[in-house]
Amino acid sequence: MVDQNAHPPSVGTSFQRVDLRDKVLGIAKYTADLSLPDMLHARVLRSPHPHANILSIDVQPALNMVGVHDILTPFNVGEGKVAPDVPILDTKVRFVGDEIAVVAAVNVYEADAAIDLIKVSYEVLPFSTNMDTSMKKGNPKIHTQGNVVNGGPIVEARGNVEEGFDQADYIVEDSFTTPGHHPASLEPRAALASWDGTRLTMWKPSRGIHADKAILASALDVNPNNITVIGPVMGGGYGSKDETRTSVLAALLSMRTGRPVKLELSREEEFLAGRRRHSTFTKIKMGVKKDGTVTAVHAKTVMDTGAYLSSGPGVVRRAGQGALYLYRCPNVKYEGQIVYTNTPTAGSYRALGAPQGHFALESLSDQVADKLSIDPLKFRLMNHVGPEGQPGERTTPKNQIIDTQPVEGGIPFSSNELRQCLILGADAIGWERRDQIQTPTGFIKRGIGMSMFIYRGGPGGQSKAKMSLDEDGFFTLNVGFMDVGEGSSTVVLQMAADTLGVLPQIVRLNSGNTDNTPQSPMTAGSTLTFSAGQAAVRAANQLAQIVIEAASEVIGLTDTEGLYITPEGVCSARGDEVNFTDLAKKSGLLKTTVSVTPGSRDYIVNSFGAHFAEIEVDIETGYVKVIKYVAAHDSGTIINPRMAESQVRGGISQMMGFTFLEDMEIDDLSGVTLNASFLEHKSPTIMEYPEIEVIFADSIDPVGPFGAKSLGETPCIAPAPTIANALYHATGVRLNHLPFTPDNVLTALRKLR
Amino acid sequence: MENNVTQVAFKINGKEHTLDIDNRFTLLDILRDKLNLTGAKKGCDLGECGACTVTLDGKAVNSCQILAVKIASSEIKTIEGLNQGNILHPLQISFIENDGGQCGYCTPGFIMGAYPLFESRRNVSVEEIRLALAGNLCRCNAYGAIIDSVVGAIGIKADG
Repeated sequence: MVDQNAHPPSVGTSFQRVDLRDKVLGIAKYTADLSLPDMLHARVLRSPHPHANILSIDVQPALNMVGVHDILTPFNVGEGKVAPDVPILDTKVRFVGDEIAVVAAVNVYEADAAIDLIKVSYEVLPFSTNMDTSMKKGNPKIHTQGNVVNGGPIVEARGNVEEGFDQADYIVEDSFTTPGHHPASLEPRAALASWDGTRLTMWKPSRGIHADKAILASALDVNPNNITVIGPVMGGGYGSKDETRTSVLAALLSMRTGRPVKLELSREEEFLAGRRRHSTFTKIKMGVKKDGTVTAVHAKTVMDTGAYLSSGPGVVRRAGQGALYLYRCPNVKYEGQIVYTNTPTAGSYRALGAPQGHFALESLSDQVADKLSIDPLKFRLMNHVGPEGQPGERTTPKNQIIDTQPVEGGIPFSSNELRQCLILGADAIGWERRDQIQTPTGFIKRGIGMSMFIYRGGPGGQSKAKMSLDEDGFFTLNVGFMDVGEGSSTVVLQMAADTLGVLPQIVRLNSGNTDNTPQSPMTAGSTLTFSAGQAAVRAANQLAQIVIEAASEVIGLTDTEGLYITPEGVCSARGDEVNFTDLAKKSGLLKTTVSVTPGSRDYIVNSFGAHFAEIEVDIETGYVKVIKYVAAHDSGTIINPRMAESQVRGGISQMMGFTFLEDMEIDDLSGVTLNASFLEHKSPTIMEYPEIEVIFADSIDPVGPFGAKSLGETPCIAPAPTIANALYHATGVRLNHLPFTPDNVLTALRKLR
Repeated sequence: MENNVTQVAFKINGKEHTLDIDNRFTLLDILRDKLNLTGAKKGCDLGECGACTVTLDGKAVNSCQILAVKIASSEIKTIEGLNQGNILHPLQISFIENDGGQCGYCTPGFIMGAYPLFESRRNVSVEEIRLALAGNLCRCNAYGAIIDSVVGAIGIKADG
């Protein structure tokens, strides 16, 4: 039907990012760029205390100011909730920076002046800035249910881990910590609300407009049919950007004042009231036989979620998947616990949990290889999970879709080219010269390290797509997902165009408004290309059928035999032709709607990769320089090579922040965040950007659309352990506590001497 | 309020403006709120991220760090002043061709940060490009593609 040879496919080519032209022209509109007539500006009064009850608030002097229109406090916002443990505003504050009151005024200067006039009376409570204090018996409860979420850890196990350790000749055990660094997207959170009678329109940076609509409806107790959420261009999210009170507060102010209200967070507020990565403590143990066979892996992670739970349960589960599934092993166990503290809230941040878990696992794996006197690459080649999956019995019922984070064994992967990644990456970094590059004398030590990873492969929630041939001869793909700056709209467009057999230039993508897009899950967990892609492919296939049937009528044929789609229209075998514009005019709107449940009933869909780095350590200053970095990924078919490469290089550089620089530093005595700025929570710049070689394994996933699997978050998993292992190779010192600042590296080196 | 307002004349993207400016406003506030030139972004308002970069009399500056009343008789260029309608500036073309932006929030700042280098009409080294853009953050970390984009527009020294 669809003539595959009609023109070269777009999938597999570096088709230009669809929204980049507007971005380089400076005309792409982000939420903060929008304004409405009569718009008020909102500012937030934040808690100076890490833990306190609010006894009373005097807003009258502030309300008396000319230019101040309204002030929200916990006493006038109603009982709605933004999340199960986050009221719209609360009479209890749980970290320095927690929201207390919000002012709407004619401009931000007046709003700030009004904030200064608000008088709050507090009952200051004992507080906890770290997990140990929070978990001590008798310490103040941050939430009524206690400081350990759900009272204890989640436990996942395959086989019997104790028996596994009994079979081991060696058991290696160690502890690791990771920092609560901040995604710090360059665009701070913002919301613009406009309440018109009974209808709310909300513009906000969003990774899920339909999910945001549901939250607003529930928090404000408004019929969802009366809410429109619009997602303008988003200035970076990296998994973050939702889950806060920002949009609900703006909506409520607009509802009460009858005027549009814009609330933009400052950079400091974005650090404090946004969402950071969960800091973690992990204890991990691996048992091996003398021949190098892994007999047991047991990991326990405790993670700090700060003042509110946010996406903690998903994050803590994901932190354990490496320990459960990366090494072929019948006996594994993972325990993951979440603890509240009086610090800024942690939430979703690119590869949620996996970087923390893999830092511990892949550092330990090198230690095990060391113990066995086996080359670390060889140890992984011996033990990595293969295409056949883990040993054991499948427990998921036959007709059920397989989870992308399974625990059970007995299920093969749809594709697994981890071995290819290990071999190609090792070749690119020059692993064979590893023994010769160490420098026994001098202050600059050189080393090469590596690590590998496993991650969810892309099947996400139910995904819908609508597709139509419009009157102007263009196709429209209508989707409810959001491009969060990573480029999903471009790759989904490419897949839809190729499936139809037309050029992507004549396919429009409509997204970003809840009124005219179908329900869709959030852009999260690296699921979009796979899940929205499957929906787009199915919609395009169905529309192709509809278009051909319509064409057969227009041409005057009795059936569709021999008809095929060309870049311009539909042709028949004997040379009849109707172009898309004429077809649309004669047939009326041709359209289809599809819904897919992505995934497989027979296979685990996972992505894999192996990272390698060559570094230099200055043992006088503690400064580490990355000389060359190699990232080999199995993400199935690469839909758009240039964008995929951008994604991988960017993810690695972003995680150089996690590895070397970034941590939210909270003062134990005051609960104050000491470095809520770009200057002090320092992120990687163009100065230290290293040479990064990206390799995509030859891989086509039989389940994924066009053979594709997940990619967006996967580059973030392996950088930290790769550098840790390179540091050990260079200096003989193992660093278990991120970030590897010059200070921390020097301290570790001194301990050795 | 009258005492808090100053009349200032300046040139933006070749066009003369005379505005009554609230003394508290920065150049970035004026661009975004008064002139609807929203290409320059408020990423931090502290001069730490470079997303608000424009040129002031030919030099790249953080517009959030300049009080608007101080720009009298200056000439300012913003990202909106680079292209002439559909004719894009070579830097803009190169950023598209080299995938020099992801979420795009930093992109106008990076392009304006590189603009004085382009205007210098000489080949530069990669190290000079890095130094010129050292004050611009890209949280997508598209730095590699950004360097490629600037190199593509300017050309580099043989030894660069």
